[in-house]
Amino acid sequence: MTIPTTIASASQEKLGNLSAIRLRHFLLISIQLGLLLVLLRQFQIESGAFLRLAALAFGGFAIYAWLPLRFRLLFFVLLSLAGIMVVMGLANGAWLVGISLLLIGICHIKISFVFRGILLVFVVAILAAQRATLLPFPWSEAIWPILGSMFMFRLIVYFYDLRHDKVPGTATQALAYFFMLPNACFPLFPVVDYKEFRRCYFDDDAYPVYQVGIDWMVRGVIHLILYRVIYYYFTMAPSEVANPAALINYLVSNFLLYLRVSGLFHLIVGMLYLFGFRLPETHNRYLLAASFTDFWRRINIYWKDFMQKIFYYPAVFKLRKLGATKALVIATLYVFVMTWFLHAYQWFWLRGSVLFVAQDILFWAILGILVVLNSLYEIKHGRARTITAKQRTTKDFVISILKTYATFWFICVLWSFWTAETIGEWMSLWGALGGELSWAILTWPAIILGVVIIGSIPKDTLRNVRISAQQDQEWTRARVFTVISMVALIIISIEGIATRIDPSVATVVHSLRSGKLSRLDQAKLEKGYYENLLSVDRFNSQLWEVYTKKPANWLDVDNANLKRFVGGFVQMELIPSFISDTKYGVISINRWGMRDADYTMKPAPETFRAVVLGASSVMGWGVGDGETFEALVEERLNREQPAATFAKYEFLNFGVPGYQPPQQLMAFEKAMTFQPHAVIYVATGRELSRSAAYIAEVVKKRIEIPFAELQGLVQKAGITADMEEADMIKKLMPYYKELLSFVYGSIARRTRAIGATPVWVFLPQVTDGIWREETPDVVEIAETSGFVLINLDDIYQGRDISTLRLAEWDDHPNPAGHRLVAARLYDELVVRRDQVFKAVKMDSTQ
Amino acid sequence: MGTDELKQVIKEYIINEFLPGEQPESVTDDLPLISGGILDSIATLKLVLFIENRFGIVLEAHEADRENMDTLNQIAATVESKIK
Repeated sequence: MTIPTTIASASQEKLGNLSAIRLRHFLLISIQLGLLLVLLRQFQIESGAFLRLAALAFGGFAIYAWLPLRFRLLFFVLLSLAGIMVVMGLANGAWLVGISLLLIGICHIKISFVFRGILLVFVVAILAAQRATLLPFPWSEAIWPILGSMFMFRLIVYFYDLRHDKVPGTATQALAYFFMLPNACFPLFPVVDYKEFRRCYFDDDAYPVYQVGIDWMVRGVIHLILYRVIYYYFTMAPSEVANPAALINYLVSNFLLYLRVSGLFHLIVGMLYLFGFRLPETHNRYLLAASFTDFWRRINIYWKDFMQKIFYYPAVFKLRKLGATKALVIATLYVFVMTWFLHAYQWFWLRGSVLFVAQDILFWAILGILVVLNSLYEIKHGRARTITAKQRTTKDFVISILKTYATFWFICVLWSFWTAETIGEWMSLWGALGGELSWAILTWPAIILGVVIIGSIPKDTLRNVRISAQQDQEWTRARVFTVISMVALIIISIEGIATRIDPSVATVVHSLRSGKLSRLDQAKLEKGYYENLLSVDRFNSQLWEVYTKKPANWLDVDNANLKRFVGGFVQMELIPSFISDTKYGVISINRWGMRDADYTMKPAPETFRAVVLGASSVMGWGVGDGETFEALVEERLNREQPAATFAKYEFLNFGVPGYQPPQQLMAFEKAMTFQPHAVIYVATGRELSRSAAYIAEVVKKRIEIPFAELQGLVQKAGITADMEEADMIKKLMPYYKELLSFVYGSIARRTRAIGATPVWVFLPQVTDGIWREETPDVVEIAETSGFVLINLDDIYQGRDISTLRLAEWDDHPNPAGHRLVAARLYDELVVRRDQVFKAVKMDSTQ
Repeated sequence: MGTDELKQVIKEYIINEFLPGEQPESVTDDLPLISGGILDSIATLKLVLFIENRFGIVLEAHEADRENMDTLNQIAATVESKIK
């Protein structure tokens, strides 16, 4: 192997030569960029904004590659500014740039560094107060995460380098550094070093640098697709972890969600390569770390380098009088304390709230201690380093595999602790070890072992070598892999082709082609309507991204003050005789506590009366009075008289936001006093798990359960108020169906007992998610219970859901959505007129 | 001490401490030590302490980076600038 060389201080002339590209190479790069753009589009990588930014970057590259070197950096700055405007819009973009220039400008005021530092801290403190909404600000909230990601760490690095640099950077370099093109789309951004950013600019031949940029972007896309596989198909809620195989799956899938970060960082740095910034690698096969120190060195390398430069070296150099070992121990622990603090600091700038979670502190403390112990071992025994691939003995090879394998599993366990919502929840996971054993327990261990063995095959270990110094064979292999990967992924993403392979393959590919929420996050989004949105946990990045788009003054149904506490099993109800003027229109609640017109207790003769049970979609959150699907169906029935046997139709809306299936039992009791001829129960999904969650909630709150069957079920499951919620859910899981069967059975049986008709309607949330994991079971239970079924599962299929729902973060139907539901429900009722209306007519005339 | 001699002393230390068994000719003057992953933070610290003791100079924290210590050539230049 040729030993690579570096360029310490290349002359402008040499830089000019390196930055030039031949037409043939340019065309090769352009073709690959075209393929990459198709790939980004086909798999909807990250967002529409990123696709636009990528198109801008790739188009800009076509000009950039031919510009004289002296104009290129300026062009990169202009392109980056254009990127900000494309992603954020003109007004927000202008604010972002304005604040940025202020911060950069302060760094260069001709006063002492100390005063500049004080001034910076003062301005940042004002911005922090605005971020925390303690002070007003005239710009949109949307700019905070991006502004934060541009400055929260880079300003520290910049100021440090300004203090120590022998040759200060130019204004263009500073602007290029802070406004780096991909940053406009990514709040989570690698902490690029300013000195490195300048040093690596065209420090190698342009063509191979561009090519590696494409390789890394493709690698990033592959990471992101793998992430989706894990995110959609393998992640589990702690309450679902019931046996050892599930526990292993939970541990592995939880850790592998990190693929999203490594994927994004590859995309970001790869894009910077297109503009000549030959930055170091961001991650180095972190799944193959052979020790804790090794893990720290391999995962998020930019973070490690940042901590080393700003905290570790200054501390260790100051403390070296104490001796190398003591200095190293203290400095390493200091780095981990600062890492914890800076994660909380990062959280604040990105999300606007202060993070103080016990697991964070413990995680960084444990990792810090492990790294210190590992470092002490390395100081004493050394660490094997090689320049070239060396033959290893079988014993060395096996030991290396075992160390890597053990480290992987230890990190998985530590990671699960870090990402758990509470320590109690994490502790509850381990109860699964007593669960049933199955062969599935070997699946992940076998896959991981295979990966570790392949990854342990000796190869050249020197990193970040100049590409021009690599061997031709290695270079060609990397190119072939990149192009084949792109073409293969594009081909499989074409629906017609995937369908030809197998319908199940097509279904999986279809799901991987977009960045939707997983079933767990979708459930959390729905849960979020009724609970504090902070339940979006620290690692729930995709759900958080949905919420970042939500305006601060957005009115949620739970904050609309439509309900009052009444105690008992039902806990809450709509406030009777209450009117609320929302931005969607007036919500009037009648004297009986229904969001509806006023009705008498007893229906008039020749009047068909149905009561409609459900939650917020039934109540009609998001539409004005008279616009709910219930009201629209009622109006149309009266207008068109499809059954021709009743003079009048009344639909009484008993929908209450946030009501779970067991609460509907109480709503049903109330509804029965209005002497209905039909009871229409509207289910909106996850009826099984929501029922169990509600039972766990009332047990936790020590609320008395007024149904003997449910009390018996609680006893059978063995849940008590002092248990963790995850444990309670886990224990209730075997009784999910029994629980819902009781709810549905009670309603259907008692309805039929008075000669009325029980109708069960399935109405999904207005979402493009594919998750209907409980629906088949719920439909079966409804049918077995004796309901007349109306399944509207496909009602939103093939439609642009953005025109039917309130917002991306609020899946309630808007007026158009309600009209669509009303039209379909009307048709379904008319089709079943014999079951729904005729029998009742006979009964009512008796 | 001349530049070549200085490089030789540092090179021997690096080979003995961090690259035992490696052929001396593999460790060229331009071999990337930090960016290539040979010198991690612990190794860099050990090298700094060795240089300070051997050449009687003091290095600053911000000098332990890729700009000043990534290759034998850079290390030699940094040390020489301090000695002078």
